[in-house]
Amino acid sequence: MTDHAQLIEACAAGDRAALKRLLDAEGGRMLGVATRMLRRSDLAEDAVQDAMVLVWRRAGQYDPQRGSALGWIYTILRNRCLTMLRNEARETPTAPDVIDETREGSVLDHAWDRLDHASDLRRCLEGLDAGTRRAILSSYVLGHSHGEIAGRMKAPLGSVKSWVRRGLSKLRECLS
Amino acid sequence: MTDRAMDVLIDEVVVGLAEDADVARLEALAAEDPVLAARLDVARAKFAALDATADELAVPQDLWARIDAELNSEPTATAPQPTPSAGVIDLSAVRAQVSRWRASALTGIAAALVMAILLGWNVLTPQDPAVVAILLDARGEAVAMVEGMPDNTTRVTLLERQDVPPDQVMQVWTKPRADGPPVSLGLLETGRSRTLTIQGLPTPNPQQLYEITAEPAGGSPTNLPTGPILGKGLAKAPVI
Repeated sequence: MTDHAQLIEACAAGDRAALKRLLDAEGGRMLGVATRMLRRSDLAEDAVQDAMVLVWRRAGQYDPQRGSALGWIYTILRNRCLTMLRNEARETPTAPDVIDETREGSVLDHAWDRLDHASDLRRCLEGLDAGTRRAILSSYVLGHSHGEIAGRMKAPLGSVKSWVRRGLSKLRECLS
Repeated sequence: MTDRAMDVLIDEVVVGLAEDADVARLEALAAEDPVLAARLDVARAKFAALDATADELAVPQDLWARIDAELNSEPTATAPQPTPSAGVIDLSAVRAQVSRWRASALTGIAAALVMAILLGWNVLTPQDPAVVAILLDARGEAVAMVEGMPDNTTRVTLLERQDVPPDQVMQVWTKPRADGPPVSLGLLETGRSRTLTIQGLPTPNPQQLYEITAEPAGGSPTNLPTGPILGKGLAKAPVI
Protein backbone atom coordinates (compact mmCIF):
# COMPACT_ATOMS: atom_id res chain seq x y z
CA MET A 1 0.00 0.00 0.00
CA THR A 2 1.55 3.28 -1.08
CA ASP A 3 1.45 6.09 1.43
CA HIS A 4 0.77 8.94 -0.94
CA ALA A 5 0.74 11.61 1.75
CA GLN A 6 4.23 10.63 2.90
CA LEU A 7 5.50 10.70 -0.66
CA ILE A 8 4.11 14.21 -1.20
CA GLU A 9 5.78 15.38 1.99
CA ALA A 10 9.05 13.86 0.78
CA CYS A 11 8.61 15.79 -2.48
CA ALA A 12 8.21 18.99 -0.48
CA ALA A 13 11.54 18.21 1.18
CA GLY A 14 13.16 17.90 -2.23
CA ASP A 15 13.24 14.10 -2.59
CA ARG A 16 12.98 13.49 -6.34
CA ALA A 17 12.78 9.69 -5.84
CA ALA A 18 9.49 10.17 -4.00
CA LEU A 19 7.98 11.81 -7.08
CA LYS A 20 9.14 8.86 -9.17
CA ARG A 21 7.43 6.49 -6.75
CA LEU A 22 4.22 8.48 -7.03
CA LEU A 23 4.42 8.17 -10.80
CA ASP A 24 5.07 4.43 -10.52
CA ALA A 25 2.12 3.98 -8.19
CA GLU A 26 -0.44 6.28 -9.83
CA GLY A 27 0.84 7.12 -13.32
CA GLY A 28 -1.21 4.41 -15.05
CA ARG A 29 -4.51 5.50 -13.50
CA MET A 30 -3.62 9.17 -14.04
CA LEU A 31 -3.04 8.43 -17.70
CA GLY A 32 -6.44 6.71 -17.80
CA VAL A 33 -8.18 9.74 -16.26
CA ALA A 34 -6.38 12.13 -18.63
CA THR A 35 -7.12 10.00 -21.71
CA ARG A 36 -10.85 9.94 -20.92
CA MET A 37 -10.83 13.74 -20.95
CA LEU A 38 -8.29 14.58 -23.66
CA ARG A 39 -8.96 11.61 -25.99
CA ARG A 40 -5.41 11.64 -27.42
CA SER A 41 -2.68 9.65 -25.72
CA ASP A 42 0.04 12.20 -26.49
CA LEU A 43 -1.98 15.00 -24.88
CA ALA A 44 -2.78 12.74 -21.92
CA GLU A 45 0.93 12.06 -21.40
CA ASP A 46 1.63 15.80 -21.50
CA ALA A 47 -1.10 16.35 -18.91
CA VAL A 48 0.34 13.72 -16.56
CA GLN A 49 3.82 15.20 -17.03
CA ASP A 50 2.54 18.71 -16.23
CA ALA A 51 0.56 17.41 -13.26
CA MET A 52 3.62 15.65 -11.78
CA VAL A 53 5.67 18.83 -12.15
CA LEU A 54 2.87 20.75 -10.38
CA VAL A 55 2.72 18.11 -7.63
CA TRP A 56 6.43 18.72 -7.13
CA ARG A 57 6.10 22.49 -7.11
CA ARG A 58 3.04 22.57 -4.86
CA ALA A 59 4.05 19.74 -2.53
CA GLY A 60 4.85 22.27 0.21
CA GLN A 61 1.22 23.39 0.15
CA TYR A 62 -0.21 19.92 0.70
CA ASP A 63 -1.66 19.57 4.16
CA PRO A 64 -2.14 15.92 5.20
CA GLN A 65 -4.83 16.95 7.69
CA ARG A 66 -6.94 18.10 4.80
CA GLY A 67 -8.50 15.63 2.38
CA SER A 68 -6.81 12.61 0.86
CA ALA A 69 -3.44 12.77 -0.83
CA LEU A 70 -4.78 10.93 -3.85
CA GLY A 71 -7.65 13.39 -4.15
CA TRP A 72 -5.14 16.23 -4.08
CA ILE A 73 -3.11 14.68 -6.90
CA TYR A 74 -6.16 13.96 -9.06
CA THR A 75 -7.48 17.48 -8.53
CA ILE A 76 -4.22 18.86 -9.93
CA LEU A 77 -4.40 16.43 -12.86
CA ARG A 78 -8.07 17.12 -13.68
CA ASN A 79 -7.56 20.89 -13.49
CA ARG A 80 -4.62 20.58 -15.85
CA CYS A 81 -6.70 18.50 -18.29
CA LEU A 82 -9.58 21.00 -18.09
CA THR A 83 -7.23 23.90 -18.83
CA MET A 84 -5.83 22.01 -21.81
CA LEU A 85 -9.34 21.18 -23.07
CA ARG A 86 -10.52 24.78 -22.76
CA ASN A 87 -7.34 26.12 -24.42
CA GLU A 88 -7.74 23.62 -27.23
CA ALA A 89 -11.35 24.74 -27.71
CA ARG A 90 -10.22 28.37 -27.86
CA GLU A 91 -7.41 27.65 -30.31
CA THR A 92 -9.61 25.65 -32.70
CA PRO A 93 -12.54 27.97 -33.25
CA THR A 94 -14.44 25.58 -35.48
CA ALA A 95 -16.16 22.74 -33.66
CA PRO A 96 -14.90 19.31 -34.60
CA ASP A 97 -16.96 17.96 -37.51
CA VAL A 98 -17.46 14.60 -35.97
CA ILE A 99 -18.25 14.21 -32.32
CA ASP A 100 -17.61 10.63 -31.47
CA GLU A 101 -20.70 10.11 -29.38
CA THR A 102 -20.27 6.35 -29.47
CA ARG A 103 -16.88 6.64 -27.79
CA GLU A 104 -18.21 9.13 -25.27
CA GLY A 105 -21.17 6.91 -24.52
CA SER A 106 -19.03 3.88 -23.93
CA VAL A 107 -16.55 5.80 -21.73
CA LEU A 108 -19.45 7.03 -19.59
CA ASP A 109 -21.11 3.60 -19.41
CA HIS A 110 -17.80 2.08 -18.46
CA ALA A 111 -17.25 4.61 -15.67
CA TRP A 112 -20.80 4.10 -14.43
CA ASP A 113 -20.46 0.28 -14.47
CA ARG A 114 -17.23 0.46 -12.55
CA LEU A 115 -18.33 3.01 -9.99
CA ASP A 116 -18.26 1.21 -6.67
CA HIS A 117 -21.75 -0.24 -6.19
CA ALA A 118 -21.56 0.27 -2.45
CA SER A 119 -20.56 3.92 -2.74
CA ASP A 120 -22.77 6.79 -1.60
CA LEU A 121 -21.96 8.62 -4.82
CA ARG A 122 -23.51 5.81 -6.86
CA ARG A 123 -26.58 5.57 -4.64
CA CYS A 124 -27.11 9.33 -4.87
CA LEU A 125 -26.47 9.52 -8.62
CA GLU A 126 -29.04 6.75 -9.05
CA GLY A 127 -31.58 9.09 -7.45
CA LEU A 128 -31.20 11.58 -10.32
CA ASP A 129 -33.00 11.33 -13.63
CA ALA A 130 -30.94 9.73 -16.38
CA GLY A 131 -30.29 12.96 -18.31
CA THR A 132 -29.02 14.92 -15.32
CA ARG A 133 -26.89 12.00 -14.19
CA ARG A 134 -25.33 11.77 -17.63
CA ALA A 135 -24.68 15.52 -17.71
CA ILE A 136 -22.87 15.43 -14.36
CA LEU A 137 -20.90 12.32 -15.34
CA SER A 138 -19.85 13.84 -18.66
CA SER A 139 -18.59 16.98 -16.94
CA TYR A 140 -16.52 15.06 -14.41
CA VAL A 141 -15.38 12.14 -16.56
CA LEU A 142 -15.10 13.73 -20.02
CA GLY A 143 -14.50 17.32 -18.94
CA HIS A 144 -17.47 18.59 -20.92
CA SER A 145 -18.56 22.19 -20.49
CA HIS A 146 -22.19 23.29 -20.13
CA GLY A 147 -22.13 24.16 -23.83
CA GLU A 148 -20.85 20.74 -24.88
CA ILE A 149 -23.44 19.01 -22.74
CA ALA A 150 -26.19 21.20 -24.20
CA GLY A 151 -25.00 20.42 -27.74
CA ARG A 152 -25.15 16.69 -27.16
CA MET A 153 -28.47 16.77 -25.32
CA LYS A 154 -29.85 19.12 -28.00
CA ALA A 155 -31.19 21.29 -25.22
CA PRO A 156 -30.92 25.04 -24.57
CA LEU A 157 -27.82 26.09 -22.63
CA GLY A 158 -29.84 27.83 -19.90
CA SER A 159 -31.95 24.73 -19.25
CA VAL A 160 -28.88 22.52 -19.06
CA LYS A 161 -27.26 24.89 -16.57
CA SER A 162 -30.27 24.80 -14.31
CA TRP A 163 -30.75 21.00 -14.60
CA VAL A 164 -27.14 20.45 -13.64
CA ARG A 165 -27.39 22.96 -10.81
CA ARG A 166 -30.49 21.24 -9.45
CA GLY A 167 -28.85 17.85 -9.89
CA LEU A 168 -25.73 18.94 -8.00
CA SER A 169 -27.87 20.36 -5.23
CA LYS A 170 -29.82 17.05 -4.92
CA LEU A 171 -26.51 15.20 -4.84
CA ARG A 172 -25.21 17.53 -2.15
CA GLU A 173 -28.26 16.88 0.03
CA CYS A 174 -28.11 13.15 -0.58
CA LEU A 175 -24.40 12.93 0.19
CA SER A 176 -24.35 15.15 3.26
CA MET B 1 -21.91 35.53 -1.75
CA THR B 2 -24.55 33.47 0.05
CA ASP B 3 -23.66 30.10 1.48
CA ARG B 4 -25.86 28.39 -1.06
CA ALA B 5 -24.29 30.26 -3.97
CA MET B 6 -20.90 29.22 -2.58
CA ASP B 7 -22.06 25.56 -2.49
CA VAL B 8 -23.07 25.81 -6.14
CA LEU B 9 -19.74 27.39 -7.08
CA ILE B 10 -17.80 24.73 -5.14
CA ASP B 11 -19.67 21.89 -6.86
CA GLU B 12 -19.26 23.42 -10.30
CA VAL B 13 -15.54 23.87 -9.70
CA VAL B 14 -15.20 20.28 -8.50
CA VAL B 15 -17.04 18.67 -11.43
CA GLY B 16 -15.25 20.95 -13.87
CA LEU B 17 -18.09 23.20 -15.04
CA ALA B 18 -16.83 26.51 -13.64
CA GLU B 19 -15.08 29.16 -15.70
CA ASP B 20 -11.29 29.44 -15.28
CA ALA B 21 -11.67 32.76 -13.48
CA ASP B 22 -14.12 31.25 -10.97
CA VAL B 23 -11.78 28.33 -10.32
CA ALA B 24 -8.87 30.70 -9.70
CA ARG B 25 -11.03 32.90 -7.47
CA LEU B 26 -12.25 29.98 -5.37
CA GLU B 27 -8.75 28.56 -5.00
CA ALA B 28 -7.42 31.95 -3.97
CA LEU B 29 -10.20 32.32 -1.38
CA ALA B 30 -9.65 28.77 -0.11
CA ALA B 31 -5.93 29.45 0.27
CA GLU B 32 -6.80 32.08 2.85
CA ASP B 33 -9.84 30.51 4.45
CA PRO B 34 -9.37 27.07 6.04
CA VAL B 35 -13.14 26.59 6.48
CA LEU B 36 -13.78 27.16 2.80
CA ALA B 37 -10.80 24.93 1.94
CA ALA B 38 -12.36 22.16 4.02
CA ARG B 39 -15.71 22.55 2.20
CA LEU B 40 -13.88 22.27 -1.10
CA ASP B 41 -12.06 19.15 0.08
CA VAL B 42 -15.31 17.52 1.19
CA ALA B 43 -16.91 18.26 -2.18
CA ARG B 44 -13.89 16.84 -4.02
CA ALA B 45 -13.84 13.70 -1.89
CA LYS B 46 -17.49 13.02 -2.86
CA PHE B 47 -16.59 12.67 -6.53
CA ALA B 48 -13.18 11.04 -6.10
CA ALA B 49 -14.65 7.54 -6.55
CA LEU B 50 -15.04 8.42 -10.23
CA ASP B 51 -11.25 8.80 -10.64
CA ALA B 52 -10.87 5.17 -9.67
CA THR B 53 -13.12 4.09 -12.57
CA ALA B 54 -10.53 5.05 -15.21
CA ASP B 55 -8.49 2.36 -16.95
CA GLU B 56 -4.97 1.88 -15.72
CA LEU B 57 -2.89 2.50 -18.84
CA ALA B 58 0.73 1.60 -19.49
CA VAL B 59 3.01 4.51 -18.59
CA PRO B 60 5.50 5.14 -21.43
CA GLN B 61 9.09 4.33 -20.54
CA ASP B 62 10.30 7.86 -21.13
CA LEU B 63 7.66 9.71 -19.10
CA TRP B 64 9.76 9.83 -15.95
CA ALA B 65 12.77 11.05 -17.93
CA ARG B 66 10.61 13.85 -19.36
CA ILE B 67 9.39 14.90 -15.91
CA ASP B 68 12.90 14.69 -14.49
CA ALA B 69 14.30 16.79 -17.35
CA GLU B 70 11.60 19.42 -16.89
CA LEU B 71 12.38 19.69 -13.20
CA ASN B 72 16.09 19.98 -13.99
CA SER B 73 15.43 22.83 -16.39
CA GLU B 74 13.52 24.77 -13.72
CA PRO B 75 15.30 27.45 -11.74
CA THR B 76 14.85 25.19 -8.70
CA ALA B 77 17.74 23.07 -9.85
CA THR B 78 20.14 25.90 -9.25
CA ALA B 79 18.91 26.50 -5.72
CA PRO B 80 21.37 25.05 -3.22
CA GLN B 81 18.72 23.05 -1.47
CA PRO B 82 14.97 23.16 -1.63
CA THR B 83 13.42 23.97 1.71
CA PRO B 84 10.05 22.58 2.61
CA SER B 85 9.19 25.88 4.21
CA ALA B 86 9.40 27.51 0.80
CA GLY B 87 5.75 26.47 0.35
CA VAL B 88 3.97 29.75 -0.05
CA ILE B 89 0.97 28.79 1.99
CA ASP B 90 2.51 27.12 4.97
CA LEU B 91 -0.49 25.86 6.87
CA SER B 92 1.54 24.49 9.74
CA ALA B 93 2.79 27.99 10.39
CA VAL B 94 -0.76 29.29 10.20
CA ARG B 95 -1.90 26.64 12.65
CA ALA B 96 0.94 27.50 14.99
CA GLN B 97 -0.12 31.11 14.81
CA VAL B 98 -3.72 30.14 15.48
CA SER B 99 -2.79 28.20 18.59
CA ARG B 100 -0.56 31.02 19.79
CA TRP B 101 -3.46 33.33 19.20
CA ARG B 102 -5.75 31.09 21.20
CA ALA B 103 -3.28 31.00 24.04
CA SER B 104 -3.32 34.73 24.32
CA ALA B 105 -6.93 35.18 23.27
CA LEU B 106 -8.12 36.85 26.44
CA THR B 107 -5.29 39.32 26.49
CA GLY B 108 -5.83 39.91 22.80
CA ILE B 109 -9.53 40.58 23.13
CA ALA B 110 -8.91 42.94 26.03
CA ALA B 111 -6.26 44.77 24.06
CA ALA B 112 -8.54 44.95 21.04
CA LEU B 113 -11.32 46.47 23.09
CA VAL B 114 -9.00 49.09 24.51
CA MET B 115 -7.73 49.88 21.04
CA ALA B 116 -11.25 50.10 19.68
CA ILE B 117 -12.23 52.57 22.34
CA LEU B 118 -9.07 54.60 21.91
CA LEU B 119 -8.83 54.63 18.16
CA GLY B 120 -12.39 54.15 17.02
CA TRP B 121 -13.97 51.11 15.43
CA ASN B 122 -12.91 51.99 11.93
CA VAL B 123 -9.31 50.89 12.45
CA LEU B 124 -10.52 47.39 13.20
CA THR B 125 -12.68 47.14 10.12
CA PRO B 126 -10.66 45.22 7.55
CA GLN B 127 -10.22 47.23 4.43
CA ASP B 128 -11.98 45.89 1.35
CA PRO B 129 -9.82 45.78 -1.75
CA ALA B 130 -10.60 48.26 -4.52
CA VAL B 131 -9.47 45.69 -7.08
CA VAL B 132 -8.46 42.03 -7.17
CA ALA B 133 -6.30 40.43 -9.85
CA ILE B 134 -5.49 36.76 -10.31
CA LEU B 135 -2.08 36.44 -11.92
CA LEU B 136 -1.65 33.51 -14.31
CA ASP B 137 1.57 31.98 -15.58
CA ALA B 138 2.26 31.10 -19.21
CA ARG B 139 0.34 27.85 -18.80
CA GLY B 140 -2.75 29.59 -17.49
CA GLU B 141 -2.21 28.37 -13.92
CA ALA B 142 -3.07 30.82 -11.16
CA VAL B 143 0.16 31.75 -9.36
CA ALA B 144 -0.85 34.72 -7.23
CA MET B 145 -3.77 36.81 -6.05
CA VAL B 146 -3.22 40.57 -5.83
CA GLU B 147 -5.55 42.77 -3.82
CA GLY B 148 -5.12 46.49 -4.40
CA MET B 149 -6.46 48.56 -1.50
CA PRO B 150 -7.82 52.09 -1.96
CA ASP B 151 -4.87 53.48 0.06
CA ASN B 152 -2.44 51.76 -2.33
CA THR B 153 -1.30 48.99 -0.09
CA THR B 154 -1.15 45.86 -2.17
CA ARG B 155 -1.62 42.41 -0.69
CA VAL B 156 0.10 39.71 -2.74
CA THR B 157 -0.90 36.11 -1.93
CA LEU B 158 1.27 33.59 -3.73
CA LEU B 159 -0.65 30.48 -4.75
CA GLU B 160 2.25 28.44 -5.98
CA ARG B 161 5.83 28.02 -4.91
CA GLN B 162 7.97 30.13 -7.19
CA ASP B 163 11.51 28.86 -7.14
CA VAL B 164 13.52 31.81 -8.35
CA PRO B 165 17.32 31.34 -8.36
CA PRO B 166 19.10 32.46 -5.17
CA ASP B 167 20.56 35.53 -6.83
CA GLN B 168 17.15 36.73 -8.00
CA VAL B 169 14.06 38.14 -6.38
CA MET B 170 10.39 38.45 -7.27
CA GLN B 171 9.30 41.99 -8.08
CA VAL B 172 5.67 43.10 -8.27
CA TRP B 173 4.62 45.63 -10.92
CA THR B 174 1.52 47.46 -11.94
CA LYS B 175 0.50 49.85 -14.68
CA PRO B 176 -1.62 52.56 -13.08
CA ARG B 177 -2.26 53.89 -16.60
CA ALA B 178 -2.79 51.40 -19.41
CA ASP B 179 -0.60 53.46 -21.77
CA GLY B 180 1.98 54.39 -19.11
CA PRO B 181 5.10 52.57 -17.92
CA PRO B 182 5.00 49.78 -15.30
CA VAL B 183 5.64 50.96 -11.74
CA SER B 184 7.33 48.77 -9.14
CA LEU B 185 5.17 48.01 -6.11
CA GLY B 186 8.00 46.28 -4.28
CA LEU B 187 9.95 43.05 -3.87
CA LEU B 188 8.94 39.68 -2.45
CA GLU B 189 12.40 39.06 -1.04
CA THR B 190 11.51 36.10 1.12
CA GLY B 191 9.59 34.38 -1.66
CA ARG B 192 6.48 34.53 0.49
CA SER B 193 3.17 36.32 0.35
CA ARG B 194 3.23 39.85 1.80
CA THR B 195 1.60 43.26 1.79
CA LEU B 196 3.43 46.01 -0.08
CA THR B 197 2.98 49.72 0.55
CA ILE B 198 3.71 52.47 -1.92
CA GLN B 199 3.00 56.18 -1.86
CA GLY B 200 1.95 58.52 -4.62
CA LEU B 201 -0.08 56.25 -6.91
CA PRO B 202 -3.75 56.79 -7.79
CA THR B 203 -6.33 54.39 -6.31
CA PRO B 204 -6.10 51.15 -8.30
CA ASN B 205 -8.68 50.85 -11.04
CA PRO B 206 -10.37 47.88 -12.71
CA GLN B 207 -8.48 46.63 -15.78
CA GLN B 208 -5.20 47.71 -14.20
CA LEU B 209 -2.38 45.31 -15.11
CA TYR B 210 -0.42 43.54 -12.38
CA GLU B 211 2.55 41.27 -12.91
CA ILE B 212 5.39 39.57 -11.06
CA THR B 213 8.80 39.16 -12.68
CA ALA B 214 12.07 37.59 -11.57
CA GLU B 215 14.72 40.30 -11.20
CA PRO B 216 18.33 40.52 -9.96
CA ALA B 217 18.72 40.72 -6.18
CA GLY B 218 17.75 44.18 -4.97
CA GLY B 219 15.24 44.63 -7.77
CA SER B 220 15.39 45.60 -11.42
CA PRO B 221 18.43 47.82 -12.14
CA THR B 222 16.45 49.83 -14.70
CA ASN B 223 13.35 50.18 -12.51
CA LEU B 224 11.42 48.54 -15.34
CA PRO B 225 10.68 44.81 -15.63
CA THR B 226 13.63 43.01 -17.20
CA GLY B 227 13.25 39.39 -16.11
CA PRO B 228 10.88 36.60 -17.11
CA ILE B 229 7.21 37.12 -16.20
CA LEU B 230 6.16 34.67 -13.49
CA GLY B 231 2.52 35.72 -13.61
CA LYS B 232 0.31 38.51 -14.84
CA GLY B 233 -3.34 39.48 -14.82
CA LEU B 234 -5.82 42.33 -15.14
CA ALA B 235 -7.61 43.61 -12.06
CA LYS B 236 -11.34 43.60 -11.54
CA ALA B 237 -13.42 45.34 -8.93
CA PRO B 238 -14.70 42.75 -6.45
CA VAL B 239 -18.42 42.38 -5.81
CA ILE B 240 -18.68 43.16 -2.14
